[in-house]
Amino acid sequence: MTTITIDPLTRIEGHLRITAEVDERGIVKSARSSGTLFRGIERIAQGRDPRDMARIASRICGVCPTCHSIASVSAQDDLFGVASSVPRDALVMRNILQGLNWVASHATHIYVLFAPDLANPGYRKVLESRNLGSVWKELAGRFAPISYAIEGQPVPPGSSYLAAIPARRKLHEAMAVLGGKMPDQMAAIVGGVTYRPTAADITKVASYWIDTAGFVNDYVLPGSKGVDLDTWLSLTHDGVSPEKAVENLLGYMGGLSLNDLSREAGWSDAVLFAAFGSELVGEKLLSLPASLKLDRLGGYGDASKIGFLSYGVFYNAEKDGFDPTSPAGERFLSSGFTSGDLKREAFDHMKVTEHVAHSFYTSGSDLHPWDGATEPVKAGSDIGFEGDKYSWLKAARYRGIPSEVGPLARMINNKEPLVMGLAAAFAKNGYSPANVYTRMLARMQETLIVARELKKWVTEDLDPAGRYAVPTDLWMAKSGKGVGLWEGPRGALGHWLSTGGDSMIRNYQAVVPTTWNAGPRDGSSVPGPIEQALSGSAISAAGNALGADNANPVGILHVARSYDPCLACAVHTIDMNATQRSFLVVGGL
Amino acid sequence: MNTGLDNLDILELDRRTFLKAVGMLGASAFLGNYGTQIARALKVAETKVVWLNGAACTGCSMSFINSAHPDVVQAITELNVNIGYMETLSPQQGIFVDGAPAGTSELNSELKIEELVREGGYILVVEGAVPFGGSGRYLTIAGKPFKDILKQVAGKASAVVAMGACSSFGGVPSARSDIRKDTDYRGLLFTGTEKKGAFSELGIDKPVINLAGCPPNPEFGLITLGALILGKITPADLPDILDRYNRPTVFFPPDHTIHENCPRRGYYDKGQLDTEFSGEHCLRKLGCKGPYTHSDCATRRWNNALSMCTKAGSPCIGCMEPGFPDSFSPFYRESEGVGILLGADANTIAKVAIGAAAVGVGAHAVRRVMVSMKKHDAEPEKAEEAQE
Ligand code: SF4
Ligand code: SF4
Repeated sequence: MTTITIDPLTRIEGHLRITAEVDERGIVKSARSSGTLFRGIERIAQGRDPRDMARIASRICGVCPTCHSIASVSAQDDLFGVASSVPRDALVMRNILQGLNWVASHATHIYVLFAPDLANPGYRKVLESRNLGSVWKELAGRFAPISYAIEGQPVPPGSSYLAAIPARRKLHEAMAVLGGKMPDQMAAIVGGVTYRPTAADITKVASYWIDTAGFVNDYVLPGSKGVDLDTWLSLTHDGVSPEKAVENLLGYMGGLSLNDLSREAGWSDAVLFAAFGSELVGEKLLSLPASLKLDRLGGYGDASKIGFLSYGVFYNAEKDGFDPTSPAGERFLSSGFTSGDLKREAFDHMKVTEHVAHSFYTSGSDLHPWDGATEPVKAGSDIGFEGDKYSWLKAARYRGIPSEVGPLARMINNKEPLVMGLAAAFAKNGYSPANVYTRMLARMQETLIVARELKKWVTEDLDPAGRYAVPTDLWMAKSGKGVGLWEGPRGALGHWLSTGGDSMIRNYQAVVPTTWNAGPRDGSSVPGPIEQALSGSAISAAGNALGADNANPVGILHVARSYDPCLACAVHTIDMNATQRSFLVVGGL
Repeated sequence: MNTGLDNLDILELDRRTFLKAVGMLGASAFLGNYGTQIARALKVAETKVVWLNGAACTGCSMSFINSAHPDVVQAITELNVNIGYMETLSPQQGIFVDGAPAGTSELNSELKIEELVREGGYILVVEGAVPFGGSGRYLTIAGKPFKDILKQVAGKASAVVAMGACSSFGGVPSARSDIRKDTDYRGLLFTGTEKKGAFSELGIDKPVINLAGCPPNPEFGLITLGALILGKITPADLPDILDRYNRPTVFFPPDHTIHENCPRRGYYDKGQLDTEFSGEHCLRKLGCKGPYTHSDCATRRWNNALSMCTKAGSPCIGCMEPGFPDSFSPFYRESEGVGILLGADANTIAKVAIGAAAVGVGAHAVRRVMVSMKKHDAEPEKAEEAQE
């Protein structure tokens, strides 16, 4: 056995350490995931005016500040008793702010954080050994990061990488038009938003949308071959069965020539990834000579120990008000829970608990967030990664089950045809339906679905003559409580708060996506999703096709990065001490 | 905009004119106008940048890569910057096999940073606060307390830039809480307005340029790095161009606040003050801290100069000031205390609120502050300030 440690795991948000026990064949036997930073934002919340959290919660994460801000104001809407009357126009505006950040965040993850690993030198060797140097040229030519070199030779940044950076920047600019600035838009506020957009603003945001669609059609999708955003979704999403969605994708890819792998020839980024990323799709179904075998990575070995969880996101844009408990079907992307063997059930947040048995806290395990009592360890000697306690993350569980959250979970819970079709094909052929490949394709597919809906919100729903806030006053927050259930690009996100007789915050809690995905073992020593997904994965390129290389464990990197971890989000404390148990009751239950 | 600077050759500019030029044009326009000259200038030498992430939310990195005209990759290329180390973007990651760093610096960040520190001479950018509680182990990277890494890397830096509120002043991680004393988060030189930062604790005697803001405007970073790389400013110049909190006065004008150039200022002057959100008038009664905040948000604006907080109906929350967030919290209540206390209009309040540094302190006084800082000698400095 060899111990491979990745620390820092870069190209993520924040500070994550992965330790993997690897056997002689280069297969991970067991793994630990450790968050290595503690800031304590929820403790900072205590005693403050609850409205401040619209801005302070946004500072939980600079990559996805918008979802924290909106989760926080959703909880405040509940606390102030205005959730049922927030004007529809304000909800549309929040949707647009969230949607723009969604697409920007996913684009950042796909192109800036994840895809550079597709230009890992391990793949050059594998692909060249199979006479697929042309594929390597495309991967390196599109996805190489900045300041990159292989064997002493500088590799210039890839064309898609270079195009993605201004594309995400422009999405931030569109957000600034409506929210003042980005990161940390300023507009989301209890009762609505601070800004009534003008007709000129709407035109401006619409023109940014057109720019974004341009990037999607030129890079992500083969727009030049007639498969633009709308066409892609009509082939793989709109009213098609899962089988048909996969058949349409395979049909398109099967018609392309291997002699010219350029984007212009129809091998857009999504298509290139869809074909060469998977052993099943690429080698078995399309008869390609080799693939990156990402479908062999990051799967789950035991379906009874994993689930897929979503809280629901994007308000129903048809009416005023929303339900803070996010019942199934209320949001554009619905809440839901799907078990490891793909059985779906309704989401009930009462089934959420957090364990601290293996986390750097000294009290309160297996508690629902509103019963939580957590105290961080104080001595430096108690903060290490080899002992029983090894992470600043808690272990979140849904009726006791570790659950993956994020695009794949959302697409599964919303029965998205392409993702369901691929998942079924993998399951039928002995693969884990969740794997690095489906996780990344789900993120891409979701980006496209949200991008298209954004156009509707901006051009049809946003109303310069609308109502954008209901009046609120601090006394409305007296001795109350509230819950905000939402999703970040990375997955299910919940904020809970309660106030005292002075309307100031008594307790504030956030259970965030990366707590779900990257958390450690729970009270029964069942590993978290990333830890499970690492077990059984090959550490080096293409399933150790040319043997395992401990010094280049790209397989481990793929698995961890495929979840788009965000550690700043994931580390927080619950209430301040064991005597001050919190007592939240969620509105509507 | 005719600035009268259009025909200048930036390679010939002295430091003051350079800063004036970028201040007047804004970074975007500046780099747009002078991009070719910059490229010409920097064919000569490559500059290495090491960007460390402490206890941060990565918002500063995200803001920095929002730079427009040129975008950040273009700027990096044109300024011949070698991003030696930056966790958010770098090709490397820490790779250890049975505890020992493995492979080469092309993939292994641990070896990469060793290599960089060995060579020295890089510009160090720090994002995020530094914990001293728990023996510094509230943040570890590669198993080591962040403060130890900072000490090692800062020691060999040619210049140090604190990117954002957290590394400048402690920011959100050092905000008021019942566990603040346990985590003991600090900025590099300051924690809040106090000169009790990580550097003095670590025995690092280096000046720091504080690019305040939660997060900072991307242009702050681009202009500052540009100026350092082009040799337009050197550490020796800093006393002349920084305010008492080590913020460049070109972005954080000591003598005026956001209030003066706010797009809603006309309503303030007419006394039209909104009391509910999503209106179009002045936000003073909704808690706006623009009158107390020294930064150029209202003139430079955000995200390619498109908007800013108050334009979008949001009260300014003072995120560019050393006391953020506590000095400005609650964000959404009018700061009556200050108004009543001083009995004066917002402009006067601003001047009083930020004290002598803002209005009267000239370069000499600032230099004295810097000198006394180097001596770690707080008392004589206080005496000096009192005399001002
Ligand atoms: S108080 Fe605020 S909103 Fe009003 S003019 Fe001044 S800066 Fe602008
Ligand atoms: S206007 Fe105020 S809150 Fe907005 S960025 Fe500037 S200083 Fe920060």
